[in-house]
Amino acid sequence: MLYLSQAIGRPVRDEAGEPIGAVADLIVAIGDRYPPVTGIVVKTNGREIFLQWSSVASLDSSGATLGTTAIDISKFHQRPNEIRLKRDLMDRQIVDIDGRKVVRVNDLRLDEVEGALHLVAVDVGASGLLRRLGLEGPWRTIARGLHREIPERYIDWEDVDPVERTIASVKLRVPHKGLAELHPADLATIIDQLSRSDRVGVISSLDDEVAADAIGEMEPETQADILEDLEPARAADILEEMDPDEAADLVADLSDESREEILGLMEKDEAEEVQELMTYAEDTAGGIMTTEYVAVPANLTAAETIDRLRELEPTAETIYYVYVTDDANRLVGVLSLRDLIVAKPDTCISTFMYDEPVVVRTDASQEDVTEVVARYNLLAVPVVDAEGRLEGIVTVDDAIDTLLPQPSWRRLPRIFGRPGAPER
Amino acid sequence: MKSPALALTPRAVNRVRFAAILGVLGPGLVSGFADNDAGGISTYSVAGVRFGYDLLWVLLASQIVLFFTQEVGARLGLATGQGLAGLVRERYGVRWAAFMIGAMLIANTGSIVAEFAGCGAALQLFGVPTWISALLAATVVVLLLTRGSYGKVQYLFVAVGLGVSLAYFISAVLARPDWGLAANSLVIPRLASSPLYWLTVVATVGTTITPWGQAFIQSYVADKRLGPEDLVGERLDVLLGAFLTNLIGAFIVIACAAAVYSAGKQIDTSSPDAVQQIALALKPLAGDGAYILFAVGLLAASFLGLGVVPLTSAYAACEAFGWETGVDWRLREAPAFYGLMIFFIAFAALFILIVPARMLIQVMFTAQVVNCLLLPFVLVFVMRLSADKELMGPLVSGRFLLAVGWLGTGLLIALSLTLVLTSFAGT
Repeated sequence: MLYLSQAIGRPVRDEAGEPIGAVADLIVAIGDRYPPVTGIVVKTNGREIFLQWSSVASLDSSGATLGTTAIDISKFHQRPNEIRLKRDLMDRQIVDIDGRKVVRVNDLRLDEVEGALHLVAVDVGASGLLRRLGLEGPWRTIARGLHREIPERYIDWEDVDPVERTIASVKLRVPHKGLAELHPADLATIIDQLSRSDRVGVISSLDDEVAADAIGEMEPETQADILEDLEPARAADILEEMDPDEAADLVADLSDESREEILGLMEKDEAEEVQELMTYAEDTAGGIMTTEYVAVPANLTAAETIDRLRELEPTAETIYYVYVTDDANRLVGVLSLRDLIVAKPDTCISTFMYDEPVVVRTDASQEDVTEVVARYNLLAVPVVDAEGRLEGIVTVDDAIDTLLPQPSWRRLPRIFGRPGAPER
Repeated sequence: MKSPALALTPRAVNRVRFAAILGVLGPGLVSGFADNDAGGISTYSVAGVRFGYDLLWVLLASQIVLFFTQEVGARLGLATGQGLAGLVRERYGVRWAAFMIGAMLIANTGSIVAEFAGCGAALQLFGVPTWISALLAATVVVLLLTRGSYGKVQYLFVAVGLGVSLAYFISAVLARPDWGLAANSLVIPRLASSPLYWLTVVATVGTTITPWGQAFIQSYVADKRLGPEDLVGERLDVLLGAFLTNLIGAFIVIACAAAVYSAGKQIDTSSPDAVQQIALALKPLAGDGAYILFAVGLLAASFLGLGVVPLTSAYAACEAFGWETGVDWRLREAPAFYGLMIFFIAFAALFILIVPARMLIQVMFTAQVVNCLLLPFVLVFVMRLSADKELMGPLVSGRFLLAVGWLGTGLLIALSLTLVLTSFAGT
């Protein structure tokens, strides 16, 4: 076991034991679970030379010994997946994926794994800090006298994600694999702690769907900030992945120019949906409804309707209800998934649909919607305009939002707050 | 792929609108107001009492320097999204960061003691004993910082700052000063060769341009997630903050010059209750109104400093040592941050209660010396970081800003050394 701080600055000797310089940095290739050390940077006569790891016979806290007397510096090329530990990671901020926090690297721990030196863990504890300050020894003596342990804390390299800025100097594309596997809410929490450019970097590396889910979990003003910082085309792609009702709320918070630009880059029908939803006041049924629902004409049979569901299912927010509309898109009935499945396949749905469905008008208040959903135990309620045309549905999760207390300290994001941010 | 710093909305560069500028108003303004804390007000009062209108030019000069140092700090925050302590650690290593934080914490503890002393002095003018005011102030500030919502607290800070400005403006008017002479002294330096004169100059500059002020503006800008496109708004904000800071300072100097210096009164400015004596001296000439306003202004200013200085100290320490995160910034979940903040306040409050008034002056003076010693390091870090193209991207300091910045830094280093040398020679 070796800490990076114990190796840096130690002498480098050649095979004959002659000192030729000092250890300036170590190079690892990232990508593997534990990145192997692939090179060493030696500071000699005021300049840095790069040596391949194969020319190093040993490295410990007393220094490095080379296995060769002839230094061949021409062979080394820093490959795109390689980073320098001291320059690119030491003292930098990284994401602790397990703890869902941004932490600072106090030291790096290297271990022999299968005969080769690998980066295995990041030291983020007090002992690492004390070691770096040269105080570990005295502190340990004091701690022993007081029968106390110095808190040690390591994060396995596997549970670490270096944020973009940390290693921007090597133009490395960090895949953020570990982050993409987190629950969207956790991912949102992490992204909330990052600086602006790091946020953009992390979001850019995620695929549209993961990014959309994570952004969906953030505070409204953070959402707008992030979307405006992204490339407009990319922002449009992410918006397309979000539920239209969510996307509409978000787009409403953008600046006028960004809104136009991003909407212009979205798929035409998705952009139209979003624009239509934006015309409704935020606290009405129209404002919280989604336009993703399943509607079929009344002349279909049960089997045909189920076929139709199979086609539409991937995009609709809920398929527990199938709405039946006439030619003018007026709502004439509703079917539950259960009704469909228990009906004989060739029965026409108009014979068993419920033809007086509970509806709310687009201008109904959010509280009224909540009440209707609760009273009739609905999973979703259809929203119709003054002529009875089906405009959208409000799903139960959006309807009950009003019932939740607004916790003021749920996610106090930062010390100094933000002007114009709504108090929650 | 573009580098992340450049990926920040290139189109937003021409997005300067009135609303955008209003949106970033804040960091410079709050920082400017917080600069005029208890230490600031007593320093300005003493300057007016000792030298009348003569030192007004120093305020104009330090306003200019303050603008440039704060502008660099704000720009670092805009470009990097990081506070000063974190940046120093990343670029210059953990030892420099530890040194900077260590010195800043010592100096800031001294400042917090001074804020308590200011609260005590102000409330004593209304007959409240020191121990009650110290306990009261500590309790209110701790509750505000741990229980309040920072979104509201920052407006409170600005409101209190505006209150202070208004209080001293009115006191100055009530003291019926010679406005012509004041305006004249503002632009035409009246130099003197006495050591006391220069010591007062250094103290006046030193109370305006501080290490914690530098840390404060950068953290604030970074924490607000402001970015390169906010540059214009942020510069206006810093300009406004620097202007108001020294405008208030000027009113205090003017009030004291008119009511004490021109009236030929003698006040022992080295006595622990100098500020109270100055306030009392305002009474016969400028009336009860000026006296009360002076006291209220001092109370508000001390209170403002009492909120901002512990906050900045704890924030900087957490940032440098990597404790900055907390999913919910609740007492339980960010123990290091809140623990440090409460420790500073409690320590300083206890100090005020135990240590005799005579020694208090010594403590505050030592804190000022530590500040003066630290300032050159902080400014050199700031200037060097701001010239780093890789770090700053398009916001890197140009030739003009670098020249002005280094000139200002050089002047401040010279002044700091003067103060430190004189203080050692004096003792």
